[in-house]
Amino acid sequence: MNQQEVDGILKKAAELKVFCEYGQRTVPVLDEIASFVREISPAIEDLKAVVEVSMVNIPKAASQLGRVTQATEQASTDILNTLDRMVATLDEVIGSVATGMVSSDLGAATKKMATIVKTLVDKSGWDEDIVKLAEAWDLHLRSLRMSGPTSNLERLLKDLQNDCTEIMMALQVQDITQQHIGAVMGTIEAVAEGLRKLTTGFFGTNTEENISPLPTIPVQSDMENVGEADRKKMVESLLSKARAGQL
Amino acid sequence: MTSMKILVVDDSITIRRIITNALKTVGFPDTVEATNGKDALEKLTNANVDFIITDWNMPEMNGLDFIKQVRANPVYSSLPILMITTRGTEHDVIEALQAKVNSYIVKPFTPQELKEKIEVILKTVQVNTV
Repeated sequence: MNQQEVDGILKKAAELKVFCEYGQRTVPVLDEIASFVREISPAIEDLKAVVEVSMVNIPKAASQLGRVTQATEQASTDILNTLDRMVATLDEVIGSVATGMVSSDLGAATKKMATIVKTLVDKSGWDEDIVKLAEAWDLHLRSLRMSGPTSNLERLLKDLQNDCTEIMMALQVQDITQQHIGAVMGTIEAVAEGLRKLTTGFFGTNTEENISPLPTIPVQSDMENVGEADRKKMVESLLSKARAGQL
Repeated sequence: MTSMKILVVDDSITIRRIITNALKTVGFPDTVEATNGKDALEKLTNANVDFIITDWNMPEMNGLDFIKQVRANPVYSSLPILMITTRGTEHDVIEALQAKVNSYIVKPFTPQELKEKIEVILKTVQVNTV
C-alpha cells in the first residue's frame, strides 16, 4: 500500500466520520418528523373526509341558492301581474268617479234627472225659468263631481294607485338580491374548485407539475357595503366631474 | 306624455317590467324591450329608438360592451344612454362613464329619480347639439 492509497483511505474515513456525526444529529430530527406525521395522519384523514363531504355539499348549496333566485323571480312576476290588474281596475274606477258616473243609485238617479232636465228645456222652447232650472241643475252636478264623497274617493283611489307603484318599485329588491346571490355563488364555486384541486393534488396522487394554481376567490369591494345614500352621492359626484370634463 | 321611444335592456323580466311601468308613470309610455346587449343591438336596427336604458350584468353581451358597440356605430353613437345597475363601486361608475354612458343610476331607484335623470340627459343632449 503506497502513501497515495493510505491518503485515500484516510479521506474516506474522514468523510464517513462526518457522515456519522451528521447522521447522529439528523436521526432525532427524522424521528420527530416521523412521530409528527404519525400524529397528524388521522387529522389528515379527517380533513380529507371533511373535504370530500364539502365537495358534495358545496354544489348542493349553490344549487339551493339558484332555486331561491328562481322562486323569488317567480314570486315577483306573480306580484307584478296582480299589481298590473289592480292598477288597470283602479284606472277604470278613477275614470268612472272623475266623470261622476258612479255605479250607484245616486249615479243612476243623477243621470236620469239630467235627461229629464234636458227634455224639459227642449220642450219648453227655452222658457226662462226652465233654463234657470237647467243651469242650477248643471251647477249642482258640477259641485257633486268636484266635492263630497266622490272627489274624496278619487283621491283615495289615486293614493291606492301610488301605493301599487311603490310596491312595484320595491320589487327591485328581487334583482338586487339575485345579483348578490350570484356573487356568493361565484365565491362558492371558486371555493369548490379550490377544494377539488386540493383533493386531486394534496390528497391524491397527482404530481406537483399537474396541479394547477388555486382559483382566485372573488373579493367583495368595500364600496358594496356602503349605504345607498352615500353610494348615490358618490355617483352624482362622479357624474358632475364627468360633465365638467374632469374624469 | 312624450312620444319618445325608449329601449329598455335588462335580462330580468321583473326589472324590465318595473322600468317600463315607472316610465309610463312619469310620462314615457312608448318602450321596446331587450334581454341583453346582443338582443338590444338587433332591436336598435328594427325599432326607431330615441333613448336607451340598460343594465350592466347580462348574459351573452353585457351592458358595457353594448354601450361600446353603440358608441362605435356612427348611426347610433349620439343616442342618449342611461345605465341602471346594482354595480355601485367608484371603479364601475368611472368605467361606465369612460364608455360614454350619459348617466348612471344604482338600484334601487324611484320613478321620480328616473324622470329627473332622463330630463337632465335630454337637456344636456339638446345643449350639446345646439
